[in-house]
Amino acid sequence: MHTTAVGNYPKIGNRREEGQQTGAPVAFNPNATSITTATATEIATLPTNLRRAIALFDEGKLTAEQLAEVSSNVTTVVIKEQEAAGLDLVTDGHIRWADDQTYLANGIEGFTVSGLIRYFDSNTYYRQPVASGKLTRKGSILLKDYQYAASVASKPVKVSCDGPYTLARLSQDEFYGGEIKAMALDLAAILNAEARELLDAGCPLVQFDEPSILRNKGDWELFKEVMARLTEGLDQAKLALYTYFGDATGLHGYFDLPFAIFGLDLTPTYGKANWGLINEFPQHKTLAAGIVDARNTKLESAEQVAELIARLPENINRETLYINPNSGLEFLPRERAQEKLANMVKGAKGVQ
Amino acid sequence: MAQGLLTTSVGSFPKPAYLLEARNRFAKKQVTAEELAELEKQATREWIDFQEELGIDILVDGEMYRGDMATYFAEKLAGFEISGLVRSYGNRYYRKPVAVGPIQWREPISVEMFKYAQGLTQKPVKGMLTGPYTMMDWSFNEYYADREALAMALAEAIHQEAVELEQAGALYIQIDEPAVSTRPEELELAIKAMAVVTNGLKAHTLTHICYGDFEKIYPRMLDIPVDQIDLELANSNYDLLELFKQNTFTKAIGLGVVDVHRHTMETLEEVKEGIRRTLEVIPAERIYVDPDCGLKTRTVEEAKEKMRIVAEATRQVRAELAR
Repeated sequence: MHTTAVGNYPKIGNRREEGQQTGAPVAFNPNATSITTATATEIATLPTNLRRAIALFDEGKLTAEQLAEVSSNVTTVVIKEQEAAGLDLVTDGHIRWADDQTYLANGIEGFTVSGLIRYFDSNTYYRQPVASGKLTRKGSILLKDYQYAASVASKPVKVSCDGPYTLARLSQDEFYGGEIKAMALDLAAILNAEARELLDAGCPLVQFDEPSILRNKGDWELFKEVMARLTEGLDQAKLALYTYFGDATGLHGYFDLPFAIFGLDLTPTYGKANWGLINEFPQHKTLAAGIVDARNTKLESAEQVAELIARLPENINRETLYINPNSGLEFLPRERAQEKLANMVKGAKGVQ
Repeated sequence: MAQGLLTTSVGSFPKPAYLLEARNRFAKKQVTAEELAELEKQATREWIDFQEELGIDILVDGEMYRGDMATYFAEKLAGFEISGLVRSYGNRYYRKPVAVGPIQWREPISVEMFKYAQGLTQKPVKGMLTGPYTMMDWSFNEYYADREALAMALAEAIHQEAVELEQAGALYIQIDEPAVSTRPEELELAIKAMAVVTNGLKAHTLTHICYGDFEKIYPRMLDIPVDQIDLELANSNYDLLELFKQNTFTKAIGLGVVDVHRHTMETLEEVKEGIRRTLEVIPAERIYVDPDCGLKTRTVEEAKEKMRIVAEATRQVRAELAR
């Protein structure tokens, strides 16, 4: 059994002891022409450092390089937090990402980024990508971030991002004439190249998130084609497909898709029906069980986590099983996110 | 003069620079609660005066005292704590209410500011509340068994606050439910909770719902037990009117005619045309003209200009009707 996170992680913390008394935001001189590494590190120990750094960047008082340095420092902090919680496989927390769509869109030719729009049924928003031309690859998006994360992590680092179908669904189409399939296939080719590069660089696992298919089950046939294009020529054993905020019932042959690992939302709010679905989970595939609720602060105890794991049906291979939250943790205050991970790990260990 | 086509606004106006600064300094304990309250009243007075000058018919206090529309109420209800910072979007963070015990009304929350604002004008000022469904949806829930239990407990508490507003003289009570359009499958719960809130009220009740998947909740949405539903028409090019042609809009409508998310100004002609098109499907006496949503995200000058356009366009259409 392994424990992991799903993707994003809260970018700022709330703990006073993390550095508010150091007074670093005040000590930090915005008029200085450059900041030293020491200063950037000092900022990175502050609970709201990234927020402050982005604000200063927006005011033109911090260069892109300086902001990137602060982002790197915060990335290190959240990787260490995941490791301290005991995770076996960590993510970079998407600390550099303005949101899960914008960061990818900015790296893809043909996309512009437009106004704010609600992210699923949450009370959070993202800037909607607009496909105003054919979507093509203009260069690596995720490789450098992976390499940085891997260089500071003691545990293996996986890379997670929106899958092509979800990215297409969450975007506005001004080029493909409403042909979601054409748009998703172009994105699949781009993300296939991203994954290839990551795997070649030694990344142990690339995870694609496709929550949108749960809300558009009528697209199942075209979704299969998009997934085939996405995974073409890649080592299936190192690919994961995650969905959340709903259940994957009614998608005939879902677990036959060319991925080794399937992440499912098993929280009572969204994933009740997935508990039935996993009775048919194939032996040769790996389940990633989303049993900790990343959308609510209510803390699952280690005992409750252990109980939920014990309730997983017998056909689920305990050796390969992943335990994780149902989705990215950014809906939570950072301290609660870490507490949830720590209890999740304790619960998983109790079962082992 | 034709009956109807009264003008109003949805609730919030931008806070003037001196108030924003005072709120920041209050957070750093450099300004006392009393000093901040004085400035909030000053800003409220300025917005009331502005609405009076424009000849707006139903006024709002502009919500100078609120940070967030859920946290503002949660802070004063028993059973809630306030969370650490969570991200809304980009670099924007906020604190969410956390239900940690039985939710109960303890003391009047919005009544004092309502009385203050109403005391400044002869025109009616709206009492402003956040609805139980939205309060539930925007809170973490660590206490109640499920979403419905939390929403229904909130409904009781908000009903009490509505009664207090009515007793303080509020003729219009607005119970905002911006979250209703995000989960069509929970519309029934929102209706059930609103029935508790508005039960027995004599005031004109209304709810504001933000833009969303109306095809899935219309016309069932008309069963929300309020007299008026306030909607964003401008940011969707009045496409809701098509739905109203298929199924009659049976309530009064708060007709949003200027987009609050855009810096650019609508032209008088655009707004007049929007009102005229609405008049083809809803009679004037059931139309209340206003901006799409709260104007707090605009600059003070943009907000004022948008309100001027609302007022002037409505005045001109009224004149056309009187001819």
